[in-house]
Amino acid sequence: MITTPGMRVAKIVAIVLIVVWSVGPIVLGVTTSISTQREVNSIPSHWVPRNPTLQAYRDLLNGSTGQTTGGTVTRGGDFVHAMTNSAEIALGAAALTLIVSTMAAYALGRLRFRLSGAVLALLIGTLVIPIFVIVIGLFQVMANAQLIDTKRGLILVFVATQSPLATWLLYAQVREMPHEPEEAALIDGCRRWQAFVRVVVPQMSSGIAAVAAIIVLSVWGEFLIPLLLTSTMSAKPVTVLITEYVGKYTTNYPILAAAGVLALIPPAVLALVLNKRITGMLAGSS
Amino acid sequence: MSGTITLESVTKHFPGGVVAVNDLSLEVQPGEFLVLVGPSGCGKTTALRMVAGLEEVTSGQIRINDRIVTRLPPRDRDIAMVFQNYALYAHMTVRNNMAFGLKMARMPKQEIRSRVDEAAAMLGLDDLLNRKPRQLSGGQRQRVAMGRAIVREPAAFLMDEPLSNLDAKLRVEMRGEIIRVQRRIAAPTLYVTHDQTEAMTMGDRVAILRDGLLQQLGTPDEVYDRPVNAFVAGFIGSPSMNLVPATLERAGDGLAVAFAGARIPLPAEALSGRPDLAGQAGRPLTVGLRPEDFGRPGGAEVEVEVTRLESLGSELVAYLTPAGTQDGPLLTARLDRGETLVQGETARVTVDARRLYFFDAETGAALGSGGTPG
Repeated sequence: MITTPGMRVAKIVAIVLIVVWSVGPIVLGVTTSISTQREVNSIPSHWVPRNPTLQAYRDLLNGSTGQTTGGTVTRGGDFVHAMTNSAEIALGAAALTLIVSTMAAYALGRLRFRLSGAVLALLIGTLVIPIFVIVIGLFQVMANAQLIDTKRGLILVFVATQSPLATWLLYAQVREMPHEPEEAALIDGCRRWQAFVRVVVPQMSSGIAAVAAIIVLSVWGEFLIPLLLTSTMSAKPVTVLITEYVGKYTTNYPILAAAGVLALIPPAVLALVLNKRITGMLAGSS
Repeated sequence: MSGTITLESVTKHFPGGVVAVNDLSLEVQPGEFLVLVGPSGCGKTTALRMVAGLEEVTSGQIRINDRIVTRLPPRDRDIAMVFQNYALYAHMTVRNNMAFGLKMARMPKQEIRSRVDEAAAMLGLDDLLNRKPRQLSGGQRQRVAMGRAIVREPAAFLMDEPLSNLDAKLRVEMRGEIIRVQRRIAAPTLYVTHDQTEAMTMGDRVAILRDGLLQQLGTPDEVYDRPVNAFVAGFIGSPSMNLVPATLERAGDGLAVAFAGARIPLPAEALSGRPDLAGQAGRPLTVGLRPEDFGRPGGAEVEVEVTRLESLGSELVAYLTPAGTQDGPLLTARLDRGETLVQGETARVTVDARRLYFFDAETGAALGSGGTPG
């Protein structure tokens, strides 16, 4: 392709815009979290704090009374507790979804049975239903099952919402996988399920890792469902807890930003670690 | 070790009405290497997969070592199979690939170890046992697939085009290797290929399949010398036999075959083995000439135009049209490199009339008993 200087400039501008768009909020969050409330509120704004401090982090983790933090009361341990809740819910949902979806994808992709096409279509069809349509019904179901404000309740809901996409992605992988290794396993003495566990699942490992990352990331960022289905710290994830740092009259921005920065770290690390596999999966080369 | 693989009237219908294998009966004898050959889509792989238990049998019976296995799952058939794309377990080392079947059979660790080591030594894989399949070349993967099959010491071997993913040179090498290993194991082997050279060079016997129907079963020499029909005649041999529409004419008290302007009197030897050929006089039929039967001394001379010449170094492949026919049949001839032919000119070549084949023009069935062997 021939590139004119004009095109090159346009390309550079586009790249800069994309970087600012995606990295900007994070940078702003980090700088805010190491500022003081006074500095954040000062006019004109200080983009770079004059006296960087980790006070917001200390307030967030150790707790604070409203006096030092301008009305925002944080209770020591809550944040860590919420992070743990988030992790448990995300990992639990990912693990269960993967078990269900890997088996479903294999069955739909390999085994011949009646209505398998219809089952797949129905499953994928659920992807187009917005969650808002079902939240009221969902709340009633969860209340009847006494699963409100429990982590296992949330995990069940996320398994239900995540498994269609996970199954679909893994189904595509099953379809592309050669039949022969599992046939070799059948001849080598395996029953179907043994061939599945010992040969098929290891063959799918890159796809499974990618889907695991996708589920963990999307469950970690879930807000609406946990907001509706949790009320106390026993199940509240970090996304919901953070909103409580927004006060009625004043908001302590450094604490809010510190919570945001910390909540960002686990998914960021996960994404970096599994980056290669996810791009591989998306490129269909897994 | 002795054993047999028996197929009795085995038929496979696929949904949609396709008959992949039609009433196939054959038996692989103890220690025999039987090659199932045919063009793609002829049902040979389906037949093999039915023996393996990977494909259900619509009707008929399959026995391995006289045990009926028609409805048994693959794991209960005591067979090993080598696949075209090797089908190695990518996440396991070479050693574990080979040991997998033995582990599934709950064989003692010590025994597994010694069997894998023995097979690895036989196949020259000793140094590769700790590698993963992706670190191996095509030929090495092929060997691992073989090794995985032989450590099991199965009652029967099945091989589905195991050499077709290898380059030409390696293929020739592995042909010998497979035969050597099979001779040593001496288990009956059913080998599927579309390559007639492989079939001819490897098979104790060759079964030629077309459209799901067994055409002929015999030793390589039998199917080459006495093909039962024009299909087998054209399929076996390289380059393919020339099959030309012709008529049989009376010439004095003998017969002559006329095709595309050429007329070749048939010597008495050509007729002696085929008493019913005289009855075909005056009727259209198909005459078969092997490319290698051109240019022998003492044959009938035919005037031809040389369309194209390919030198293979050791020999010359000439594409000829009978002189005076513009769109006559193109004949392939394998000649000595010493032949002095010039592209685009006419020449006289000899045809060994004793070695002609005759087929019914409509059914393709061989007339008489085919060419004289030898």
